[in-house]
Amino acid sequence: MTDRDPRTSSMRAPGTGSFFRERPEQPLEVSSRLVHRSSRRDVLLFGAGAVVTLVGTGSLLPQATLGRLGLAPTNQDRTKREWLLNEALRLDDDIAEALYSRDRMVPTYDKTRITPLKNNYNGATPDPGYIPEWRLILDGLASGVTRSLSIRNLLTSFSVHDQVTRLVCVEGWSAVAWWSGLRFGDLVHAYPPVSQAKWARVESSVNVDATGNRDPYFVSLDLATACHSQTLLATNLNGQPLTVEHGAPLRLVAPMKLGLKNVKAITRISYAAEEPMDYWATRGYSRYDGL
Amino acid sequence: MARRGHPPTDALEQQATVRVVWRHQLLVRVSHWLNVPLLLGLVLSGISIYWASPVFQHRADPRTGIFDPFADIGIWLCANVPGMHNYDSPPDWVYNHLSLGPGMLAPALRLHWLCAYLFMLNGLVYVVGLVAGGGWRSLLPRPTDIRDAWSMLRYYVGLPFARLARRPYPHPQYDTKYNALQRAAYFSVPLIAFLSVATGWVLHKPMQLYWLAKLFGGYDTARILHFWLMCVYPLFLIPHLVLVFADGWDTLRSMIVGWSARVRGTPK
Repeated sequence: MTDRDPRTSSMRAPGTGSFFRERPEQPLEVSSRLVHRSSRRDVLLFGAGAVVTLVGTGSLLPQATLGRLGLAPTNQDRTKREWLLNEALRLDDDIAEALYSRDRMVPTYDKTRITPLKNNYNGATPDPGYIPEWRLILDGLASGVTRSLSIRNLLTSFSVHDQVTRLVCVEGWSAVAWWSGLRFGDLVHAYPPVSQAKWARVESSVNVDATGNRDPYFVSLDLATACHSQTLLATNLNGQPLTVEHGAPLRLVAPMKLGLKNVKAITRISYAAEEPMDYWATRGYSRYDGL
Repeated sequence: MARRGHPPTDALEQQATVRVVWRHQLLVRVSHWLNVPLLLGLVLSGISIYWASPVFQHRADPRTGIFDPFADIGIWLCANVPGMHNYDSPPDWVYNHLSLGPGMLAPALRLHWLCAYLFMLNGLVYVVGLVAGGGWRSLLPRPTDIRDAWSMLRYYVGLPFARLARRPYPHPQYDTKYNALQRAAYFSVPLIAFLSVATGWVLHKPMQLYWLAKLFGGYDTARILHFWLMCVYPLFLIPHLVLVFADGWDTLRSMIVGWSARVRGTPK
């Protein structure tokens, strides 16, 4: 039994710094008024917390989900409503960038571990008519000139590297593939970007949407990732030249980024000081996409 | 004032006391209730993410092309459960009711990250508090737990029958804060949560955390593990809810207010 006066003994733990302290399971004789007062306070706090959570949920769930639950969608501005979600995404991107190291190699595999790689063009597969006339345009260069390179230029001036790495898609599937091509870093070295450049915008202007209409695909890629020795501008998949399904004649292979950054059929690389737009970031996905 | 005019009543009221015992400190109560919306958000968004690329597949049905067991469950439910015959997309029933809805990958990922960071923070504060305050001791399994857990289990299974037969049915005696079954549950669920978080990081950063991915058998295996670990929460939740409601208001209230009026050894 406690020797404290039940009329004054507090419902709180005795002493300071005891916030976490487990209290002994001794029965306490407490004034019932005190018990009722503190219980009423706690139940009200709990109820308020539950209401806040329910209302807060309304701002976190997508409008379509709320509509299906029979709740009227709000008219509030989307960016304001999704502020917390976007902050979480930004925090997650910052953590991904902090985890990244240019010296850390992604795991490589034996060629026996190669798995089938599906054509995951988000729209239709483009008509291969673009391939004979294909050129790679480089701009944002230190020289101030825009360069236009053919696949022959690229293959004769750069050494070819092979790697068997895993491609991880934002949808959750992954595939192990053998890629060959030049290192993005070698291209950056040979055609240096403007000195302030921190970003590359990698674009495919031949990309089409599901109905076959022109739908340029573009991603932002930080130069630290572009210059990683395992970031390739690939020309071959599993020992064969790239097919149109896999981005002939040149595609990006950045295995430390989600598959959606691995642009197929690259037509232009532009260097910039400011972070360029990203096709999927404008559609509610992350911008950094580091794996 | 009436009150002032009757000092004896006031004094009597002040002297009225109740015997209570402390059950749950604030840290336990707050982290317990935070887990409710966080886990719900994680599971609902997680199933939306799973929907983007279902991993459990059987040979595609030659007629319908369906390869997803969850689609089969939806079709079966809509065919056999009364009142569900008119559902317009039976293969999607499971996903439509246990996720954010169709085509929600981007919002689901953002909700998943938000809930995941809050869930990790909540878990961290809980563990630090439990270690600092000594609360972990009452959760630690004991050598006698297997035998005691068995007698608890037998009690729970037999209780409804004893009630039906109106036979007296004594509760197994124990003099610890939790009984052996509770200890097993409250000790292992945080471990499951830890494994969920670890496999989640494998899926999220398989390249930078390649050593963690290796520990869990690689990216694809970690995905399967992450899924099965998720299934533990509903499996825990069902008996958890049944037992709380069977046990009564005092048990539920003690998780809100912290104290319990059920004092062991009190003469009735």
